[in-house]
Amino acid sequence: MLKVEGLNVRYGKSHVVFDFTVEVGDGELLAVLGRNGAGKTTTIRGIVGLLAGASGKVSVGGRDMSAWPAHRRTREGLAYVPSGARCFQNLTVDENLEIAAHANGADHSWTKKRIWELFPKLEPLKNNLAGGLSGGERQMLAVGRALMGNPRVMLLDEPTEGLAPVLVQSIGTLLGTLKSTGVSILLAEQNHQMALRVADRAAFIEKGRVVEVLPAARARDSEVLHRILGV
Amino acid sequence: MTPGQLLLFAMGGLANAAYLFIVAAGLSLVFGALRVINMAHGSLYMVAAFVTVVIANQVGAGLGFWAGLLVAVAVTGAIGGVVEVLVLRRVYGREHLVQLLGTYAVSLVVAGAVRIVFGANYRTVASPIPGHLNLGGYSYASYSLFMIAAAIVIAAGVWAMLYRTNLGRNIRAAVADPDLLNATGVNVTRLYTTVFVIGAGLAGLGGSIVAPSQAIGSSIDTDVLVLAFAISVIGGLGSIIGSAVGSLIVGMVISFGLVIPATNPFALAFVFIIMTAVLTVRPRGLFGLPEN
Ligand SMILES: Nc1ncnc2c1ncn2[C@@H]1O[C@H](COP(=O)(O)OP(=O)(O)OP(=O)(O)O)[C@@H](O)[C@H]1O
Ligand SMILES: [Mg+2]
Repeated sequence: MLKVEGLNVRYGKSHVVFDFTVEVGDGELLAVLGRNGAGKTTTIRGIVGLLAGASGKVSVGGRDMSAWPAHRRTREGLAYVPSGARCFQNLTVDENLEIAAHANGADHSWTKKRIWELFPKLEPLKNNLAGGLSGGERQMLAVGRALMGNPRVMLLDEPTEGLAPVLVQSIGTLLGTLKSTGVSILLAEQNHQMALRVADRAAFIEKGRVVEVLPAARARDSEVLHRILGV
Repeated sequence: MTPGQLLLFAMGGLANAAYLFIVAAGLSLVFGALRVINMAHGSLYMVAAFVTVVIANQVGAGLGFWAGLLVAVAVTGAIGGVVEVLVLRRVYGREHLVQLLGTYAVSLVVAGAVRIVFGANYRTVASPIPGHLNLGGYSYASYSLFMIAAAIVIAAGVWAMLYRTNLGRNIRAAVADPDLLNATGVNVTRLYTTVFVIGAGLAGLGGSIVAPSQAIGSSIDTDVLVLAFAISVIGGLGSIIGSAVGSLIVGMVISFGLVIPATNPFALAFVFIIMTAVLTVRPRGLFGLPEN
């Protein structure tokens, strides 16, 4: 379970995320929805521990990680899929996965073999440099890399950005499967339809503040969805 | 020039290239991963040369050199670790000028310390591998061949470290995206220290290996830094293959430049003419990656 209490993030003097507080249970998926610039990426990077200007409490499965640097958080249960299908471009597909392999004592242990089963398109590319992959392939690789850490909590930043509908579908299916293994997922998305299909709850953020948290079923065509995302 | 002479000077060029490569590889490795040009790199080389000479002369010929080499590499590696933690960590991500000033300050401190500890006199040490070989009518110091062999072994070692170990994979990942590496469970802060210690150790290895082949004085720090810098610019900062090719070019230019009477006074100038030409035609160097 992921618990975030009173996360505040500042970039220098500008205060960008205000008192972000959520709980994501085991096997639960929380969608974080908001417009461009609302603070989704900043919130996720703050939880991962990558921002010097972040304060607040982050715990995973009852373990307080607040004082830990990002590398320790991501080694011990948090996994981060950054936006833009970010990979180590000068490393091979294989190396991109191996570099993230952390056991974490989890019962479902992810291996490269399981990643190939999940994304069969990646296996024949395993000796290619990640920089030469297509956007969709790199997105799969970014998700695969996160899984290799056997996370208990996954934080995904717009994983479907720029993907073909079939791939969006398969990411959705994957997230559903991950939920059933007990992973807690926080998913920031612009694609609210996809997000709300797999989410249990949705948190709407506006100008760095959570303005409403709703069960996904109710969020789907709520007033707040229309107002905040302008749909 | 007779074929025998050609061979003689080519071997001289190779011997130059050998120690220059060891030094330049360290400079380049550090720049590639940390994006910092270490102005104190030559200082570490000088410390190692002095430590090696002193220990080798204390302990005695042969074994003394190898003991000196081990101590020198350990000492320079340790200095590197301290410098990384105390100085470099404060300048990462700052503008290049601040970084240059920071490491330049370190080089001044080290140069001062070397003069206090070892004095201003030139020192020499007997070669641990004495003797000469005869090739094509000319005799070669066996030690030069050892230097060439050592550089090849070190090049292979650095390559294997980078492409065959987890440490090397992490270093390459840090070159591309340190932020993502941190978020992938790798302690980048510690990795940077490790890289800098390896780079410092390579400077030390270069200084130790060069010691029996030339007189060691308190200005060899800048002499070697300038050449290592030219090599890195020619080959491409951050590229180990670039360091090797750059070292060969510079080593040969110096060797042939010095022996041809007409070019003798300008041998070093040629190095910088080539450097300037490369900078003009291909600013990132022959094998360098474009800066991101
Ligand atoms: N490095 C930074 N320095 C200063 N301000 C920043 C920085 N990164 C983001 N911001 C600002 O913080 C606010 C939140 O940005 P953030 O990237 O978190 O939004 P987002 O919800 O992820 O947007 P998008 O949907 O476009 O990805 C924006 O106003 C942005 O301009
Ligand atoms: Mg964003």
